[in-house]
Amino acid sequence: MLALKLLPQLLAWTATALLLLRAFSGRRLATAYAAGAGFLGGTAALAVVPGALLYDMVRGFLGAAFLLLWGVSVVVLYQSNRREGASGVRFLNRAPLCGAVALVCGLIAGATCACRLGSGAAGQLLTPLLLAVAGCALVAAALYAERLLSPRITVTPAGLLAALVALALFASSFLIRVDLFAPLSMKVMKGTHDFVHQFMESVLIPDHIFVRQVVWGYIGIFFSKDVGFWGGMVIWFTPVCLLLLAIRLQRLPKVSHIRQGAQRRQVIARAIKERNLRLAVPGFALAVLIAAAYQSQHPTVEYWDPKPLQLTANAAGEIFIPRKGEVNLEDGKLHKYLFKQGEREARFFVLMAPNGKLTVDLDACAICKPDGYGQTEGTLICYYCKTLIPLETIGMTGGCNPVPVQFADTPDGVRLNAASLLNSWGQTIQSTTRPKEGGK
Amino acid sequence: MKRLSSFIRNALCSRFLPPVVIGIFFLLYIGIAFFTDETLITLMAFTRASKALAALLALIPLNSALRLALEVARHLRRRRALRGGEVKELPPLFDESVELASASLPEELAGRLAAAGYTVRRSQGSLAAVRGVGIFPARLCYLAASCALFAGILLTTTSRSAQRGMVVEGEPFPAPNGAPALVESIRLAPATGSLLARTLTIEVAPLQPGARRSSFGLYPPSLYGGDFVYPRYMGISLQLRFTAPDLPQPFENQASLNLYPAGKEGSVAVPGSTYRLDFSFDPPPEGGDRYASYMAEPKTLQVKLIKGQDLLFSGSLPSGGVLLRDGYRIEVPAAKRLVVTDFIRDYGVLCVWAAGMLYLAAAALYLPLRSLSPRREMLFVVAAPLVAAHSRAEGKRSAHAGVFHDALDMLDAAKGGEPEPPAGPTTN
Repeated sequence: MLALKLLPQLLAWTATALLLLRAFSGRRLATAYAAGAGFLGGTAALAVVPGALLYDMVRGFLGAAFLLLWGVSVVVLYQSNRREGASGVRFLNRAPLCGAVALVCGLIAGATCACRLGSGAAGQLLTPLLLAVAGCALVAAALYAERLLSPRITVTPAGLLAALVALALFASSFLIRVDLFAPLSMKVMKGTHDFVHQFMESVLIPDHIFVRQVVWGYIGIFFSKDVGFWGGMVIWFTPVCLLLLAIRLQRLPKVSHIRQGAQRRQVIARAIKERNLRLAVPGFALAVLIAAAYQSQHPTVEYWDPKPLQLTANAAGEIFIPRKGEVNLEDGKLHKYLFKQGEREARFFVLMAPNGKLTVDLDACAICKPDGYGQTEGTLICYYCKTLIPLETIGMTGGCNPVPVQFADTPDGVRLNAASLLNSWGQTIQSTTRPKEGGK
Repeated sequence: MKRLSSFIRNALCSRFLPPVVIGIFFLLYIGIAFFTDETLITLMAFTRASKALAALLALIPLNSALRLALEVARHLRRRRALRGGEVKELPPLFDESVELASASLPEELAGRLAAAGYTVRRSQGSLAAVRGVGIFPARLCYLAASCALFAGILLTTTSRSAQRGMVVEGEPFPAPNGAPALVESIRLAPATGSLLARTLTIEVAPLQPGARRSSFGLYPPSLYGGDFVYPRYMGISLQLRFTAPDLPQPFENQASLNLYPAGKEGSVAVPGSTYRLDFSFDPPPEGGDRYASYMAEPKTLQVKLIKGQDLLFSGSLPSGGVLLRDGYRIEVPAAKRLVVTDFIRDYGVLCVWAAGMLYLAAAALYLPLRSLSPRREMLFVVAAPLVAAHSRAEGKRSAHAGVFHDALDMLDAAKGGEPEPPAGPTTN
């Protein structure tokens, strides 16, 4: 069961080791030792680093690596009209670099596997130990398998970086707390919204009331959820596509000085063949990134999302929810409610935060459309933008946090003012659904 | 010193400069995103406040301008060379250069190149063959557009100033600059164009003799006293008089209310009391124009009188009319159209508009030129005992390379008994 749970991460780690060994073919053993040591270290982080920090560290590192890939891909594209082969190959086989890269890759792969095991395994010894042994055994297997690979398959420095980052992102896409794609989509959505709004203000475009609905419909695309997904896709795949393009655009060698046509054609054909082979690793990275994005969009996590219970208010306009009635408000789970008054309604939830205090919040935030929240281990997830909100911050305002509602916490239960609740819901919904209608 | 200035010049002209600068701003954006949700606005505020960031941003238009100048010079030099003029250092102007041992150009070379579709020009000691139309005009437009766009962004970010004013019919035009004027009329009407649904026209009459009348529309916004007049929202300016049994004296006020789209409520609180007056326009029937009341005359308002949390009464109140009930008197002697207008001083807007047009021109030129008839050039220069051959292609490179190699083979075959220096590629 454990092996099955870790299968994607271990597969990614094997591929990572294989790539490292092929890229640092001059330093195979040193690379293998460093990678194995890194994996051990990463696994050990489960015992040393507190849970939340470990997740943050892994996600932060992945973000930095992805940014680095972006920078490298732009540089490589800018250099693509040169005729020399890929630069940095000599640099790639220097011992300190081999060791450092392999060590870092091992650390991050080990830490991702540790995150996958979850905080439940932190107190155990056997499970992390088994994982560490499996990681090292896979490095040994990769060391053997690498010798069987065709020598014509070469790895350029940029191609190596792309493949390593892609594999790390793939491994992390199975863990919603370290996955990058979903938060990237959310940031893109917010960034695009801000940019379009600022652009329209900057070039003095009239407000939506003056613009034809069909035209505003097109502008409204930039304010939709889809722009986050598609913008995220563009940012996700662009670096690897730039690398593929750079290889494709690389100029063929000069043959004008060769006076035999057959010889010229031979030189060109060989160069084209080598160029095509160089596409293999970035192409593999592209495939892995597609898998990572798919996995991120189809998480296997099941959220706790109870059907909202309908409530009524008393004559004084007060809503009362007993502390231990039909549901137990103190069980640490999300409890959703629906209050209706005439045509107006409000959806909210009650939750006991990890600090032992009850919090009442709208089932909506001040930014996204009110698709609501689900609960998973240690976090709530906004269904609209897939942002994870730590339970410790529920009840606080800002960002994608659910909008807090004023309530009275009495010994027998929770009391809310129905009018305030309806007003709060109305205001929140009005501000977050306005872009959908085409408002600026 | 010379090396330093050369380094600076090369750095400023480098193709790497724009992505590096954009990358730095992107990293800043990411950094700011950790601390605030208003990332873009914060970054713009930082750039406005920091001379270093503004200078960094200014490197992009500077780079585009320098690259524009360099590419024009390079284009002119290549053109002169192809016309038989003397140009030093030819190889950097072409993609590929090679020298062959040959004292002259064979006669049939021109015919062979012409047969391949090239226009051949022969001059003293050289032969040029060209085909297709270059993308240089598109490139010029693109670089000029980039320069204008980033100059516009820089100007907008660092120097934009905005002042909001209430433009009310029959009242002075509240422009911060320009001659004093009176707002004659505000007209909202359905538009016939394909982009705008409505037109809004603000007619302004000068208060000084000899000055011109002005009329302001929606887009593109016009200038008044150096400021763009940018209408934002529509509303109503109400002259309001309210009397209540428990108020010691009548309340009089000139209230500016944002009541559009119809159905939206605007409030006027009566100071020193718990009275509040909520005004709105009746929403139109399903599918009707929610701005119709703005175009209509006279306007009928819906009014609610609220005391504390209690609704005392509600009713209709035509402009110029009175609503009397239970000792309360609500009077609106006049209701005038109002447009919340921003007066914006920002010449970066002109640069951004120019950039948009130039980018469109660049795209319109590039696609057909590059795909249908890309520029291909060859130049053979005799400098006995060698012939220097240069080649360049903007597209259809393989076919062009084939013709070029054939030409070189012909040159090689024609050299006869001449001594043969080692052939090899020149630096390029």
